[in-house]
Amino acid sequence: MAIERGNVIIVERGRRKERLPGSGLLEGMAVVWRHWQGSFRKNRSFSQIHGTFTLEYPEERPKLPEAYRNMPILLYDEETGHELCTSCFQCQRICPPQVIHMTQAKDPATGKPVPAVAEFVIEYDACMSCGFCAEVCPFDAIKMDHEFELSTADHGSLTVAKEQLNRPIGYYERIAPTMWAEVREQALKKLQGNIKRRPGVLGMAPNLAEKIAARLRELATTAPVEAAPTTPPGPSAPAGRLSPEEKAARLAAIRARNDAAPADAPPPPAPAGARDGHGEPAPSDVPPAVNPADAKAARLAAIRARNAARAQEQAPPEPPAPPASRARTDEPEG
Amino acid sequence: MYELLDALINGRLGLGWPGWAVALLGHVAVATLLFLVAPVQMLFFTYYERRAIARMQDRIGPNRVGPEGIWQPIADGVKMFTKEDIVPAAADRYVHLLAPIVVVAPTMFMFAVVPWGPGMVPVDLNVGLLFFFAISSISAVGLMMAGWASNNKFALLGAMRAVAQMVSYEIPAVLSLIAIVMLTGTLSVVQIVAAQGGLVISTADLPGVPDVGLGWFIFTPVGLLACLCFFIAALAEGERTPFDIPEADSEIVAGYMTEYSGMKFGLFYLAQYVLNFLLCAITAVVFCGGWQGPGVGWLAAQGLSPANPDGSWVFNLFAGMLGVFYFLAKTYFFFFVMIWARGAFPRLRVDQLMDFGWKFLIPLTLVNVVSAAVWVGITRWGPEEGLDFTAQWSPLLRWGVAFALTMAINVVAYLTLARLYAAAQAARGRVDLEELVGSVPTSA
Repeated sequence: MAIERGNVIIVERGRRKERLPGSGLLEGMAVVWRHWQGSFRKNRSFSQIHGTFTLEYPEERPKLPEAYRNMPILLYDEETGHELCTSCFQCQRICPPQVIHMTQAKDPATGKPVPAVAEFVIEYDACMSCGFCAEVCPFDAIKMDHEFELSTADHGSLTVAKEQLNRPIGYYERIAPTMWAEVREQALKKLQGNIKRRPGVLGMAPNLAEKIAARLRELATTAPVEAAPTTPPGPSAPAGRLSPEEKAARLAAIRARNDAAPADAPPPPAPAGARDGHGEPAPSDVPPAVNPADAKAARLAAIRARNAARAQEQAPPEPPAPPASRARTDEPEG
Repeated sequence: MYELLDALINGRLGLGWPGWAVALLGHVAVATLLFLVAPVQMLFFTYYERRAIARMQDRIGPNRVGPEGIWQPIADGVKMFTKEDIVPAAADRYVHLLAPIVVVAPTMFMFAVVPWGPGMVPVDLNVGLLFFFAISSISAVGLMMAGWASNNKFALLGAMRAVAQMVSYEIPAVLSLIAIVMLTGTLSVVQIVAAQGGLVISTADLPGVPDVGLGWFIFTPVGLLACLCFFIAALAEGERTPFDIPEADSEIVAGYMTEYSGMKFGLFYLAQYVLNFLLCAITAVVFCGGWQGPGVGWLAAQGLSPANPDGSWVFNLFAGMLGVFYFLAKTYFFFFVMIWARGAFPRLRVDQLMDFGWKFLIPLTLVNVVSAAVWVGITRWGPEEGLDFTAQWSPLLRWGVAFALTMAINVVAYLTLARLYAAAQAARGRVDLEELVGSVPTSA
């Protein structure tokens, strides 16, 4: 039956039972009275309707289910001191609000990427707690924490770096025992494989200073030949050996300089030609095949590359490995 | 108070003050005391209501400020004082300022005739009950001022609803009090309380009854019906749910209080809770014996009084304390019933409010006046009033016949009126529906 707008539906409820007038009011009050009476005991069973459900929060804490998720954290293995993260960028890619940022660690000797993370930042303020990062992580390195009291007086402290994100595996095991038991085997196996590919102390949790020092000592005694490449600092690295990124930057800079030379010469018509699609198509400085949007993008890329090149020139081959410098400072201490 | 101060100043200290100065001092002292007590009661009531309604809704209520949240109203008061006082640009500034004062002042006046304990009444007016209700209607003027001066449609709607409601419901309230006035033959609140000694049966009806202060009017059919009607009318007077139509926050924001903030709003709030306290208090006083209760009469008789100059003032003190305890316990009980009704019932529509008041409550209270007359005729009147067939009856038989007769009248009246009212409402509903269906083009 189609109910048209404006039609009146009359519901037949049958004849009302003959009752003492006013008894309905008393019945309603009786319901409230039973609730009032029942409210003096606590009710933690949600199948009951009487009793106080209130959890007096700061004193009483809710028992969070294992799969409760709030903010992502990173795990490290307490035994070896190694972080599980290999900097595969899966979490950074899947993150819907794009709040995960990381840089991959590089072997200071060869400049080649290593399956370890150098810097890892999560902006907790914009994180939406979707848990995609933890779902997607192939190494079970990123997990969702149960900590929810995150309020702070300064906004900046909600941009959280690796040092504050790191938690031992034992912590996660405590908050989510069965979930960790499911993945424990494969996670540790993968970690062992990754540790083999990490030179020096790369990939070790920075807060474990003793572990790092012990590992350095171990490296110094067992394999002095292998440890040697880690000690020479940045300047001694041959100038010809550049990382792929540095190479790409150089290349882009050169290209930009070549491109920028004609683009710089007539500066006023350039933006006009790029902007107006309705007037003349500005054939003078843009090749006819290129549409204005592409031209604009190209110019933007050129400017960026030029800036990058300028920065490169001011600070020539910079020592690219913060882990190496940390290793140098830590060595005398240990 | 006058005798006490007179004895102290002119007797003990021998200062020789004139009578008017002593009286002035006494009244100023009492008034100061009441002005301190009224806001404290209001603060307690806000806390009490929030805690009780929370329990009815399976919550805990405010329990953070102080032990069990007892200082919560203080925190609310501090908040109220620190808020900005906003006067709308289009408002009538002076009337806007004056309205909360006109609303609060009558509620304070009403304290003048409320007895707190034996001999503890500010003024024993011989028209105390009339004074109480006459002065309470003045606050309707204040509400109208607030609604008008705010220059806001919600405020004006709320004020009009408030005035309509107060005017309509004063009639059943006063009619149910008239029944009690007929039983006691006095308008003095103090004498109404004094008439409620006894044990279930009042000493006024049956002189031989032991006086333990339990001869309340609520134990008689007349008093019971009057108490119910009065309490329902009091809910409407005090703008309590289910009659909180004037400030129906889901319909018209906060009614006449919409444009008020800060302490002006606080004054409306104060007036409302003080009025609720007073309505509960007058219900307790008129129908439930006020300070009357087991022990008070005996203690008062042992105390120092003109009739008993050898008594000890300690008994006066204890009698007063016990009397105030009974009075406040009854008052708080009635306020609990108000909260209970708030927890149980939804808000009425304006037409339902008017129908209920005019078509049900007023006829019922009128019938109750008749049964009060029957009660008085059977229990009090004799041959000199022209009623000689009861002359040979014993007082107990008189009381029994009066009880049965008034009970029968009231029950029959209640059932008949309820049926008539239900039929009228059903007929009205049918008319509404016909109107609605008739106006819509029906498509088969």
